[in-house]
Amino acid sequence: MLSRVANNLYWMGRYIERAEHFARYSKEIYFSSLDAPIMETYDRKFVLESMLYMTGIFDMEADVEKDVLFKIGLDTENPNSIISILNVARENARGARNAISTDLWEAINKYYHLVNNYSVETYISTGFYDLTQIILEQTSIVQGKISGTLLHDEEWAIILVGMHIERVIQVIKIINSKLHDIYKIELAGHPVTEMSFEWTTMLRCTESFDMNRKFYRSIPNREQVLEFIMLNPQCPRSIAHSVNGIQKYLLKLDSDDSIDSRSIIYKIGKLCAQYKYLTFEEFENDIYGLLNSTQDLVMEISSELEKKYLSF
Amino acid sequence: MKNSTNGILDSYILGNTHYDEVYTGSKQPRDHYASMVERFNQLSLIDFERINNEVKTAFLNQGITFAVYAEDKKPDERIFPFDLFPRIIPNEEWQQLEKGVIQRNRAINLFLHDIYHQKKILKDKVVPADLIFSSKNYLKEMVDFSPEAGIYTHISGTDLIKHTNGQYYILEDNLRCPSGVSYVLSNRVALKKSLFELFDKLKTKAIYNYPEHLLEMLKSVKPKNVDNPTIVVVTPGMYNSAYFEHSFLAQKMGVQLVEGRDLFVEKDFVYMKTIYGPIKVDVIYRRVDDEFIDPLCFRKDSMLGVAGLMNAYRAGNVTLANAPGTGVADDKAVYHYVPDIIKYYLNETPILNNVETFHCENESEGKYVLDNIDKLVVKPVDESGGYGITIGNRLSKDEIEEVKVRIKSNPRKYIAQPIMSLSVHATFIEESKEFEPRHIDLRTFCLMGKDSEYVLKGGLTRVALKKGNLIVNSSQGGGSKDTWVLD
Repeated sequence: MLSRVANNLYWMGRYIERAEHFARYSKEIYFSSLDAPIMETYDRKFVLESMLYMTGIFDMEADVEKDVLFKIGLDTENPNSIISILNVARENARGARNAISTDLWEAINKYYHLVNNYSVETYISTGFYDLTQIILEQTSIVQGKISGTLLHDEEWAIILVGMHIERVIQVIKIINSKLHDIYKIELAGHPVTEMSFEWTTMLRCTESFDMNRKFYRSIPNREQVLEFIMLNPQCPRSIAHSVNGIQKYLLKLDSDDSIDSRSIIYKIGKLCAQYKYLTFEEFENDIYGLLNSTQDLVMEISSELEKKYLSF
Repeated sequence: MKNSTNGILDSYILGNTHYDEVYTGSKQPRDHYASMVERFNQLSLIDFERINNEVKTAFLNQGITFAVYAEDKKPDERIFPFDLFPRIIPNEEWQQLEKGVIQRNRAINLFLHDIYHQKKILKDKVVPADLIFSSKNYLKEMVDFSPEAGIYTHISGTDLIKHTNGQYYILEDNLRCPSGVSYVLSNRVALKKSLFELFDKLKTKAIYNYPEHLLEMLKSVKPKNVDNPTIVVVTPGMYNSAYFEHSFLAQKMGVQLVEGRDLFVEKDFVYMKTIYGPIKVDVIYRRVDDEFIDPLCFRKDSMLGVAGLMNAYRAGNVTLANAPGTGVADDKAVYHYVPDIIKYYLNETPILNNVETFHCENESEGKYVLDNIDKLVVKPVDESGGYGITIGNRLSKDEIEEVKVRIKSNPRKYIAQPIMSLSVHATFIEESKEFEPRHIDLRTFCLMGKDSEYVLKGGLTRVALKKGNLIVNSSQGGGSKDTWVLD
């Protein structure tokens, strides 16, 4: 595999995953807030601010709803908008066109055209749900084509490494963003810890609500939710599952099993082990500390991966 | 009895001054088109338009597009318009074409070898030496170098038209990086999916295996001492207008698509940069023009090439397809001599007609051209894509004067030909929602490898969608049709 192509595939995986998290977070938080229990704090602006925070937009006030929706969704001038992220994903796929299957290429290209041809007017007036839903569904199709139409070789593995790295980063951002919301609500004098609403939303934002219900068979609370989306390796959206994914697919690329503390394999292996034996009680008092150290380590793995395989 | 009371072809009005491929002068379908016309007439306009739109969407989703760049604007991604009514070539007619195309390319190949070695044809004054040595496409780097198996033009595209007299004429040879074959294959797939019932009565030759032939041909010209060659396709990159084709061919052959920056040369061997280190490359199907392939030899500012590639090539360590320096033979001024070239090397009568060509450089011919610009097509000898062509009867007086000034300033750069009447073919026009006659041509694709010659059955039928327009190039608003060679 050419290093340039590996670079294209890696970033294709990352951007496909990123667009999906942005769409899902925005959709879930927006629609769940419409009949949220604590309405006096939970105004429109509060929700829009959370959406801007999560999607990394810090240069605008959450005053006009349509402007915020546009900026997050279809603003091609904003490099962090969903459409911009998707367009870069598609350019990366195009640059690696002959390394991927025709099926996968067409799924990505069709996704690209669906979003690019979506009317901005419709989107900001009545189409917000529809467009985010299209993005989630198209992402599932693309994921299906990745698993079902590619040879499971290095090219396939590098896409999945990218997707899992991005998933860790985005899930951490979602948890941070929701904890930030909760902090703001608590500051306003509402004891959120006792309420299931915010924790349910956090689960929905990580697509883990149904799985969580099935696992615990009780109303979500702080401990259960954080334990689930951080530590549960059976939940495909959890941090534990995603770091395991990074390790699994990296091993397809890199069979280096010497114990060298500087190697990528060593670093990811250690992170996996940490998550395997961690309990909620151990990090309960420093959740941000754990999230930050995990994010830093994954970023480090990503940049070393780029140096080792993807530079040309 | 026909049940075509409301057939979608009923309103078709014959293009009476040109050869109509589908109908005779009395609007009877020609024999080889009869069942196709009947099939189309069974479709309602509503169904036809629906199918037409589905095909357009499918082309867009498949990325069968080309980019049109304009300043200050996002590149416009366009599909290459595809007309659903296929062009049909009877088998006997095709046999002649195929023989003619092979004959022509065989002779051109011998010609290229000669002008880069002994130059016998120039010494015998069959082709003027000046014409060759003044061509910017004659590369001194190729002198006395013999490519593997003596093949220069591994892939060539020969453009043909059918004149009013029903005869084919060669319009031009494309011996550098002819494009369009991916559209031929994609058009066929699209037609099979959308109008599958057309394939019931008439049987067309298969074309799907072109990439297999291409791969076999490329393997056959591998450098000596290489058993299992690593083959790559080199593209200028995804912003090139033919990127779809480059990736398509690489993918269908199962070989790596690379850019110049993915390759490097060390000790006269070419390598590509992979995640596990360098891998040697043996055969390069390059879709980058001569002047850009090696910044050490040709354009210093080229970002698309590989430094040292020509040295590796001349050392016999890598094969380039096509060979550099073939452009000297598809120069439109050399075109005029191709019938003589065929006679000279093969001692055969040319099977396909050449269009009469006047050289502006030649004193008497040049004078004739200047006096008759309104009756001639004037073409620059070294441009492609239909650029710079003027058609005499479309020019205003002022424009005629401008053309004269241009010719006088650089007569070597121009040739002129009588205005040929390209045949017309029923083509669906979206604005009028009717089939109308439109001019077409045909690009054939010929592969030459070690001991093998192959012509893709049919080729690319290009259609000028603008009414009365004779220029079929996609960059000038042309579309295409599926081309059937009957079984």
